This record gives sequence, structure tokens and C-alpha cells, in this order.
Amino acid sequence: MVENAASATGPSIATRIGKLDLPAPTLMGSGCYGSGEEYAPFVDLAGIGGIVLKSVTRFPRLGNAPPRLVATPSGLLNAIGLQNPGIDAYLENDVAKFAERPCAVIGSVAGFSVDDYAYVTERLAARDEIDAIELNISCPNVGSEGETFACDPGLAEQATRAARRVTAKTLIVKLSPNVTDIAAIARVVEAAGADALAVVNTVRGMAIDVETAKPRLGNTTGGLSGAAIRPIAVLAVWEVARAVKIPIVGQGGIENARDALEFILAGASAVSIGTGNFTDPRAPQTVADGLRSYLAERRIASLRDVVGKANPGFAGVR
Amino acid sequence: MPALETSPAIHRTVVSDRREPAPGISVVGLYAPRLAGATRPGQFAMVVPPGGERAATALGIYEAQGDRISLMLVAVGPRTRELATLPLGAQLDLFGPLGNGFDLAALGDEVALVAGGVGLASLLLPARELLARGARVYLFYGARTAGALVDADLFAELGARVYVATDDGTLGWAGYVTDLLRETAMHFSGIAACGPSPMLRAVARVAADLGVRAQLSLEETFACGVGACWGCVVGLSRESAQAPRFPAPAPGETRDYVHARICKEGPVFWAHELRW
Repeated sequence: MVENAASATGPSIATRIGKLDLPAPTLMGSGCYGSGEEYAPFVDLAGIGGIVLKSVTRFPRLGNAPPRLVATPSGLLNAIGLQNPGIDAYLENDVAKFAERPCAVIGSVAGFSVDDYAYVTERLAARDEIDAIELNISCPNVGSEGETFACDPGLAEQATRAARRVTAKTLIVKLSPNVTDIAAIARVVEAAGADALAVVNTVRGMAIDVETAKPRLGNTTGGLSGAAIRPIAVLAVWEVARAVKIPIVGQGGIENARDALEFILAGASAVSIGTGNFTDPRAPQTVADGLRSYLAERRIASLRDVVGKANPGFAGVR
Repeated sequence: MPALETSPAIHRTVVSDRREPAPGISVVGLYAPRLAGATRPGQFAMVVPPGGERAATALGIYEAQGDRISLMLVAVGPRTRELATLPLGAQLDLFGPLGNGFDLAALGDEVALVAGGVGLASLLLPARELLARGARVYLFYGARTAGALVDADLFAELGARVYVATDDGTLGWAGYVTDLLRETAMHFSGIAACGPSPMLRAVARVAADLGVRAQLSLEETFACGVGACWGCVVGLSRESAQAPRFPAPAPGETRDYVHARICKEGPVFWAHELRW
């Protein structure tokens, strides 16, 4: 891990997610940041906490037919469909170059069975270039199969347990907002051995072209991200923070420090920026700088002191 | 197209001039010395929304000369209206240049450029470079109506022969520009086109019928613009040199194409390699 020089001179925005010590609480959301090299010309990757890589599956996936994106008011509807080269080719061709990243590199694993999650996690986590694993049990864009794991407590528990068994590295499990009781899912995932929770993945949605009278996405339905879902995501963090004692990575429409603070005050120890990078690639720096200013103005020494501050039921981070 | 060695960056630019050649169509000039020097024909830039809260907008770079670039846009939604009404002297942040441009060397010396509406914006730099190296350039330019055909005279002044078509027949050929292209039955060594998807599909058909290879600059909604999100894809033959390096297909996968990113592997593709 590279220590951020700026954090030594002012308030600390360092945080800890499982066994990962991060100099900044900013992760870049899976599927939104490629492997980081795409954004390297525009932002200093050494100033961010880490990159969550695009999800990889057991077999190659062609992904969904286009169109895959629809811009909606304050949001972005997507249905990419987990396009990726499959774990074999990924390990052979892609992973080695992640060693060059000056920040944490978190692999993302998606699957269609409990065995998939165990198999891909074991192989990916075995690589030194990978600092931690995020378990994507909540992709809404691969038929009903992908998200089933995040919407069924039994399956969420099995997938988490299977991944836990095969790696000692930090295991983050990404939850879906498309459930009735996210706190209940969070509890079973914590009990199954997750080190942290990513809250939340996209909100299911769709858009229809009234001229053609057809859905606008090739996949018919998609996942909504961006500012439009921020209040939904903040509430999910709020509820999860009252239910578990493992750290939460809050995400959903974060573009600046004030957005990030909503999640942190609700109980998130870190945040993830996804769609916000599409508005301005400097968002990670804007968020980090804004967090430092917020703390400095209030003479607060560390970001850890404000985690969960707005949430009286916050269970604390163990 | 061959991958370009470019160094994209974030550029803080200043609005230097603005004109509205037709109602709803704006050309915004920007003082952007480094970007002007780095841009190759067919590349684009992502415009950071001055007011935030919206995804950045991808726009083809229209002119790039000296210390100035310009962007041509149709004010259709909140994002483009915001850009079209920026006052002179306003700051505008862009990142680019992005994408692989046209492979002009592969087009030969008798080149048809086919533009639909503001697709024209991606064809000025190619026209200039082709003419400079002595190629003959024929611009086939279509729009809804005569009033929406902008800057055709600019291409004529550069030395291109200009043929126009309008959907409503108010100027030039009455009907689609691609039908005009077919009807001329001229000989071309190559075709380069930019415009809406239905027009580009028609260009691909006409090019195949004429036995000429065509490079198409695809229009699509981009989210990231830099190849990170895989949101803007098009089917591309597995054999294409531009296809993302995907090894063996998954078990049971019978499709002979892959999904290539328009922003990264494109936006310009050989028409005969597309599977769309």
C-alpha cells in the first residue's frame, strides 16, 4: 500500500476494510473503472484507496446485446451483462499488469452457482496482484440468476461461505438494494465470514422508447446508478450499519465529498465511486480533498471519528 | 483501425467563439492549444458538464488548427443546450483526444466522405488531410432540410466536391444521401462516413454493392468514453484486428462475433467487419 503524503499533513482520511489499510476511503466501483489504466491519464491513482476490478466469471461472456446504456434523469441505466474473458484468460493475460497499480486492487467475482463463486475466488485470490476479493452476488443484468444470490439469504450465505473457505484475503460481499430486508441479508453474510459489505449494487429499472414501443435496453431491464439512487443507497447503509459489525463500503451516486459524507455518517467506513467518474474523472480527488477539508474545518483528526455519527443505532465496527 | 498512440489528458479550455449556422446547430470554438495539436482525424473528446450532475458528453472534434478546436452540436437535451449557450470566455473542461480515428492511408486517392447531419463534424479533419496529400475528395452530405445543411461551403473551399441531399427535397437530391451515393455510380477507392446508425447501415450496404471498403464512425451513447465501462458496444467479427482479444469462446458459444467498445476499439470501424 502506498502511503498518501497529503494525509500526513492534515486530518487522516485513512480507513481499514477487513485486512486492507487504505490511505483514502475511496474505492472505484466495479465495472465502472476498468482495471484503472483507462483512467490513469486523468487522475493520480496513488491518491485513491483502491480499484474494484470488473467482475470475472468462470467462462468467457459475450455480454448483453446493445444498447447497454440509457441516460435517465440524474441517473444511468445499464445492462452490460458481465462481459469478460473468463477466469482462465484473465489470469493468463490481464492480472500480471495489475501489480503496477499504486493503490489497492480488489478482484471482483461473479457466478451462477455456489461452486462458481468458490472456483473463481480461489483462483483469483491466489494471485499476489490481487489484494482482496469482492463477491458480486448482486448483478441485476444476467437474467434472474446473478442477483438471486443477493436476494435469498440462504444462497447469499452459501456463496459467501464458499468463497470464505478458499481465501484468507479480505472478502467484501456486494449486496443488492432490490430486497425487502437488506439488514437480514447483511447479517447472514456477516455470519458466513464476510470481512466487509459493499452497499449497494444498482437498483433494477427499465426505460421504454415510446416511438418504437420497445424497451430501450437490449437486455430489456437494467440497473440504475447515479445520483438518482443516492437516497436509496444511504438508507441501505443506515439499515445495514445497525445490523452488522463489519465495515461497510457505501456506494450509490457519489460525486463529491458531501455525497460521500452522507454514507460515512450513516455508517460506511469507505465509499465507492462508480458513475461519478463518468461526470468528471477527477471525482476521486474531489471527494478525497473535500473529506480532508470537512474534517479540518471541524478540527476532527480522523475520518474514523465521524463514521456512523448520524446513526444512533450504528453498531460500531469491530 | 490501427490503434493510435495518443496521450489523452484533461484540458481546461476557454470558449473563444460561437456561431449558430442553423437553428439548433452550434459550433463552439475553444482555446485549447494542447488538444488542438494532439487530435487526429476522427477522434473525439468528452466534455465535463459545467453544471455537474450529468454524465460527460462525447463530441467529435470538428476543427483543430493552431491553438483552437471546435465542437459542432445539436442542442437537443439539457446537456447540449448547456454547451450551446456557454458565454464567450467561459471555461470548459474536456478530456481527450480519445478513440482511434480514420485510417486515411487505407482509403486511397478517390475518397467519398458521407455525412448525415452533424455527423459532418467528424469529417472535416479527414477532408483536410486527404486533400493535403493530393487525394480527390467527394462529400456526400445529407440532412432533413436545406436549412440544416451547414458548412458545405467550407468543404467546397477546401477543394472537396460537394453533393447534397435533403429528406424534404428543399436542396439537392430529394431523399437519402446514401441513395444519392449509389445513384452516382462513381468509382471510389474508399468511403468514410459519420452519421446516425440507420444511415451508416445504408452506407455499409451501398459500399458492399459498389465493391468499395468503408470506414464508419459510429454514434452511440458513451458513459465513460475511455473503455472502462463496456456500455457502448457493437458486434465485430472475431477475426477483426480491432476485436478485443477474447480467447476461446465459452462452451456452447456459437456466435462468430465479439462485442467491441465503440469508444475504445472505435469509434471508426471497417463496415465489412461489423456484425450488427
